[in-house]
Amino acid sequence: MNALLEVREVRKAFGGVKAVNGATFTVAPGSITGLIGPNGAGKTTTFDLISGRTACDGGTVQFDGKNVTGNPIHKLSCAGLVRTFQIPRAFQRMTAWENLLFSGTNHPGEGFWAGLISTGSSRRREKEVAAQADEVLTFLEIDHIANLSAGSLSGGQRKLLELGRALMRDPKLIMLDEPFAGVAPALTGKIAQKLVELREQGMTIVLVEHDLETVMRLVDHLVVMHMGAVLVAGDPSVVRTDERVLEAYLGGAHV
Amino acid sequence: MDYFLQTIVYGLATGAVISVAAVGLTLSFGVTGFINFSYGEILTVAAYTTYALTQAGMALPLAALIAIFMGGVVTFLVARGFFEPLRDRGPLALLITGVGVAFVIQSLVQMAFGGSPKPFPLPLMTPWQIGEVYIPKLQVIILVLAIVCMIAVHALLRYTLMGRTMRAAASNDALAKLSGLNTRRIIGGTWLVSGLIAGLGGVLLASSQGNMSPTLGFNFLLVVFAAAMLGGIGQPYGAMLGALVIGLGIEFGAAYVSADYSQALAFGVLIVVLLVRPSGFLGKPSLATAGGAS
Amino acid sequence: MTGWLLFGAFVLTNALIYGILALGLNTQYGLAGQANFGFVALFAAGAFATTLAVLPPPDSPEYVGTYEIGFGLPWGAALLVAAATAGGVALLMGLVCLRLGGHYLAMVTFAMAQVFASFLANEEWITKGQFGISPVPQPLRDQVDEASTYIYLYLGLAAVVTLVAYILAERAGRSPFGRVLRGIREDEVAARTLGKAAGAFKLKAFVLGGVLAGLAGAVWVGSIGAVHVGQFIPVVTFNVWLAVLLGGVGNNRGVLLGALLLVLIRESTRFLEGVPFLADLAASNASFLPSLRYVIIGLALILVVRFAPQGVLPERLRKRVQPDLTADESAPVEPVQVKA
Repeated sequence: MNALLEVREVRKAFGGVKAVNGATFTVAPGSITGLIGPNGAGKTTTFDLISGRTACDGGTVQFDGKNVTGNPIHKLSCAGLVRTFQIPRAFQRMTAWENLLFSGTNHPGEGFWAGLISTGSSRRREKEVAAQADEVLTFLEIDHIANLSAGSLSGGQRKLLELGRALMRDPKLIMLDEPFAGVAPALTGKIAQKLVELREQGMTIVLVEHDLETVMRLVDHLVVMHMGAVLVAGDPSVVRTDERVLEAYLGGAHV
Repeated sequence: MDYFLQTIVYGLATGAVISVAAVGLTLSFGVTGFINFSYGEILTVAAYTTYALTQAGMALPLAALIAIFMGGVVTFLVARGFFEPLRDRGPLALLITGVGVAFVIQSLVQMAFGGSPKPFPLPLMTPWQIGEVYIPKLQVIILVLAIVCMIAVHALLRYTLMGRTMRAAASNDALAKLSGLNTRRIIGGTWLVSGLIAGLGGVLLASSQGNMSPTLGFNFLLVVFAAAMLGGIGQPYGAMLGALVIGLGIEFGAAYVSADYSQALAFGVLIVVLLVRPSGFLGKPSLATAGGAS
Repeated sequence: MTGWLLFGAFVLTNALIYGILALGLNTQYGLAGQANFGFVALFAAGAFATTLAVLPPPDSPEYVGTYEIGFGLPWGAALLVAAATAGGVALLMGLVCLRLGGHYLAMVTFAMAQVFASFLANEEWITKGQFGISPVPQPLRDQVDEASTYIYLYLGLAAVVTLVAYILAERAGRSPFGRVLRGIREDEVAARTLGKAAGAFKLKAFVLGGVLAGLAGAVWVGSIGAVHVGQFIPVVTFNVWLAVLLGGVGNNRGVLLGALLLVLIRESTRFLEGVPFLADLAASNASFLPSLRYVIIGLALILVVRFAPQGVLPERLRKRVQPDLTADESAPVEPVQVKA
């Protein structure tokens, strides 16, 4: 099966520091892939490079069969590659509901003229987007926070909203940056369950995580990064006992 | 050829005045992180203070010194009274506050002295003559004073504790706080220095123009800002370089292209710089992109 | 009594003009988060475009004076010309500023307005420089004999244009287009991550703001029947800023109210002449009262930013009302802080 995402030898240096130094891995469609590694391994920077937030110094990124290296963020998002942020970036001054509506795709009402004169196609699409937002709220079990301003939500609720906004984009691949960071254990289980449900529906997921226990149980494929490059990649049960991985984690913590 | 040399001398003198003002502005920006929109008014206050004191009979050099001192004091008080309480509100809030302060100061000056231009009290000076070329004394004196000021600033930044801590605070405020530097004192000291330099700038500006009106500093602000941006905002040595480029540019533009659009030229430079290389000649590339939009 | 009514009409007309300007700035800053310190240039562009449009051409029978350009258009067309011209200038400004934000954007727009002002002052064949252009034909002036009656008629015309401007601004703000802008304003990276081409949106909002400023310029010229470069100075931009900040950033009704408050504040300085102490000061110094007005504007800016940054009518959360999906405004959201 063709890989949905192919990252090849991407590099990024900040000043003298090589944050990412030739990282290569692939992501199969319909899978959950975990990107792990010790602090400073370059995981978030790799996310930034793939999603277009930071320009690569070298290497290529192929998404859905096309070379998307260096594409602007919004174009990638429209092509189906959506990332979330470790610290959720919800629009604080909007309600959760509006945050979801915002994320709707292909909305004629977002055009300049259609905005001024509310056209039929704009109103239709708005209804569709609203219905989709309703579905997302129900799926993530956060209906009750719809009318709360995003700024007043709890940490866990914000994480869910962040995921919800990504889902509104009808993505092919979601890249989640530490979806479990700072989340209570009960909620962690719920989020993990939702991710599995999404995979059942055909979604492809890549996630960066430090919570190794959860990651091990969740992912189909594990990519371990160390010092800006991919150390080992493969089945979680195999990777976890790989000597190189154990060494990378400073020999102390078990994987 | 004489015209060309003369233009250079005027360019250097203009550049010198801009340089002094730009260094003061860039120093405050470097440490506090926002643009002081009322900065131009300090120049105006210093110029008018000199005028008022000489009108009262004081000698020009002493009057100018007191005016420079006034510049420092006024800046310090304005910063403590109006900027300090808003320091967590972001550069735009502080910029708008600066606008308000600028209006207040400028209007007070106008109320006190009236709106029509007043002559700056300069002694009559005959130009030096070398062969066929006349070198205006005033421009040379301005240039010399400006250079002395630059050397003093350099000494301050390199050799004094205050200067070094200003540089530390400019490059990383969070780190400066962590290492126990008293940020509030640094900021206060920075405003004082910025104001003193602005005071000198005002005296030099009024001298070079020969007369002054309440809008003296305000009209000059953009040119000063352009020079500071050109050199890399927050970089004093860059500001000096930027000022020289802009000063020469204005004079050559006025002499050879169009006198009417010489200032517009300076602003054009600013716009181009901000688009192409927002960090300026000597600035760090990470700075200034998007100017704090998100 | 009629004196007071006339004065009231005059003040209200001014308030409406500043209201349209405030709606324009509110679209650029309140909605799209772009701090424009050169707003007066857009106002000037609209005013001079209107003038050129309505002045009778040199070869026509109505021609009066030494001005060489004129298209003799009816006022309806002139409004469109003003809107388009100012929108065009805004497009240029917006393109230059696309990658800037916060205080850099403010300074660059300020610089661009200065360049534009320089251009207007120097190109006397368009603007007649220090002499100004007068008289400029006023709309429907010939329908009414008395100058005083015309003032009331004009107030009505200005109100109509203000209503149109309000509708444009509100529609833009409440539409999905406006929603995207409000997101971009708060977090551009997040907006891009969610597939929105932030630059294009910001530019469109900037142009819309310019269009509104252009309309204001037209109404301004029509109200006095004359135009002069000296009317378009930086303080005008900051008057508009005060109106927006005072009224409520992001709230169109708020900024209209802010414009009224602004004009009332400005006009109140007239009445200070009644205060004996101040009257003596004013008599001895011709600059006194005009300067006092600027002192008050300056103080107002400082105080509003410090103590009431959300303004009188803050922006409100748009909630969802079951089952119908129209936006409802209930509790105020946390203040739209004047933060970069």
